[in-house]
Amino acid sequence: MDEWKYQPAGDQGLEPTASFRSLKREAGLIASMTQAAWRVAVRAYLRGYHRLRVEGAEHIPAKPPFVMIANHSSHLDVLTLGAALPWQLRRHAFPIAAGDVFFETPAVSAFSAMMLNALPMWRKRCGSHAMQELRDRLIGDPAIYLLFPEGKRSRDGSMSPFKPGLGMMIAGAPVPVVPCWIDGAFHAFRPESKFPQPKPITLRIGPPLIFADVANERVGWQDIAARLEAAVTALRGK
Amino acid sequence: MIFGMHPVSFWIVVSIAAVLAITPLIFLVLEKAGKLTPALRADVWTRYKSWLALAPLMIVPLVAGRLPAVLGVGVLSALCYREFARATGLFRERLVSALVALGIVLVTFAIADNWLGFFDALMSLVVCAVVIFSLFSDQPKGYIQRVALGVLAFMFFGVSLGHFSFLANDRLGTPLQLSILVCVELNDIFAYCTGKAFGRRKLSPNTSPNKTIGGALGAAVLTTALFATLGHFIFKNTALDSAVHLVPLGLLLSLTGQWGDLVMSSIKRDLGIKDMAATIPGHGGLLDRFDSLIFVGPAMFHYLAYFGGLSLDLPARIFTGH
Repeated sequence: MDEWKYQPAGDQGLEPTASFRSLKREAGLIASMTQAAWRVAVRAYLRGYHRLRVEGAEHIPAKPPFVMIANHSSHLDVLTLGAALPWQLRRHAFPIAAGDVFFETPAVSAFSAMMLNALPMWRKRCGSHAMQELRDRLIGDPAIYLLFPEGKRSRDGSMSPFKPGLGMMIAGAPVPVVPCWIDGAFHAFRPESKFPQPKPITLRIGPPLIFADVANERVGWQDIAARLEAAVTALRGK
Repeated sequence: MIFGMHPVSFWIVVSIAAVLAITPLIFLVLEKAGKLTPALRADVWTRYKSWLALAPLMIVPLVAGRLPAVLGVGVLSALCYREFARATGLFRERLVSALVALGIVLVTFAIADNWLGFFDALMSLVVCAVVIFSLFSDQPKGYIQRVALGVLAFMFFGVSLGHFSFLANDRLGTPLQLSILVCVELNDIFAYCTGKAFGRRKLSPNTSPNKTIGGALGAAVLTTALFATLGHFIFKNTALDSAVHLVPLGLLLSLTGQWGDLVMSSIKRDLGIKDMAATIPGHGGLLDRFDSLIFVGPAMFHYLAYFGGLSLDLPARIFTGH
């Protein structure tokens, strides 16, 4: 017989808001149900209202851990990435979201945790400890991260250079990174608009890259950022 | 009847309201006398504020009538189960966890329907469902562990708390449930106070190092006396209105209350955690507050049922009957 293997939840003993913000948060029965309902609704919305088309879905790995990255110019981006995953993988997906936007107040944190299943990245005070915690969870869970290496949402639709932070999560680990290009989301939901417009969105998914042989240090992280930026840019022109 | 309430219910509600009203005055007097350190002051106020929210949440459903009482205890059971599942890790076994949650919902329905037959049937049916449906994932590794945790959880929060809930179907349900709740909470306080005064020998140093034999005995004596007094007014003019029954009932309540506390302490110690959750500021989880109630329900229910003290002849199957 096995050793007793059960452990308390990663966020056990935390008060509700602290638990929503915890990188160790685990969904229970209720959160699993609200997240599943949210995913069904979002998928129907993207297919119906934005006629979402996904190209290259065969490049998505069969099982976690992996990371999906894309250009970021609209609030619809993360919904689009999540909707592209096959149903059996969706509950393993965690959007990595800006803490100062998605986890600022208790109500917004509750939404980000209970619906989006997002994990916070605190842009101004994101130490190496938080990055290590994210890396441990990605590999140990194993999980799927949805993130945008530009580090911010573009205000004019153009892509900014990738930040090397992502490298800290995957350098030296056998975790595939799937580059994606999201086309049309900027025009469908512009930064200055209040409501999304019924314009089409296309998601192009490229073959995954693995950085198991890249050193987990600054030079390696910059190398990863540059290679991923090139891979995402290459998908734009297709 | 006073304001439509049984006298015992009325006086319990009045006493609790009075205690909650007087407590801040006592704190202020102690503060003026310089007996409260800033840390202690913050702690007692946090606890007091939690009680201010908790007391109405506990009492209003019980006093409001049969159905609110059953639904109230049902919600409590579900929330306690949630804390237990997250603390033990059972929540990761989604199928088992969902079956236990469904079991708690069905038990609450059976009680609301006053359908004792279905309530009894669920004890074995839910256990069978947990044990059998866990087969279908075809993963024998860890089978005993997840099934055992699921069955234990259902026995605690579905069956045991369900017995407490079922008392709401009795003619004397409201005063009985209120008395049990008050005695169980005071049982903890009696053990703490008499333990401070007379406790020397530790009761179970490995499980709960602060408990003493003196405290356990003190609580047994005081809680028995309190419940026997309340019971005398509740069971007036019935066969149970005699020391022969009231003293064993009080003793049963005190002992099962203390054992419930120790059971949860054992589980927490085994898991290496201090509190089950952080739901109530100053108290920890709901389960840390209501652990002593878990085994009181079945003990009281079956004692009363055996000696004819429960009115099991009331209209049954309110929703499912013809």
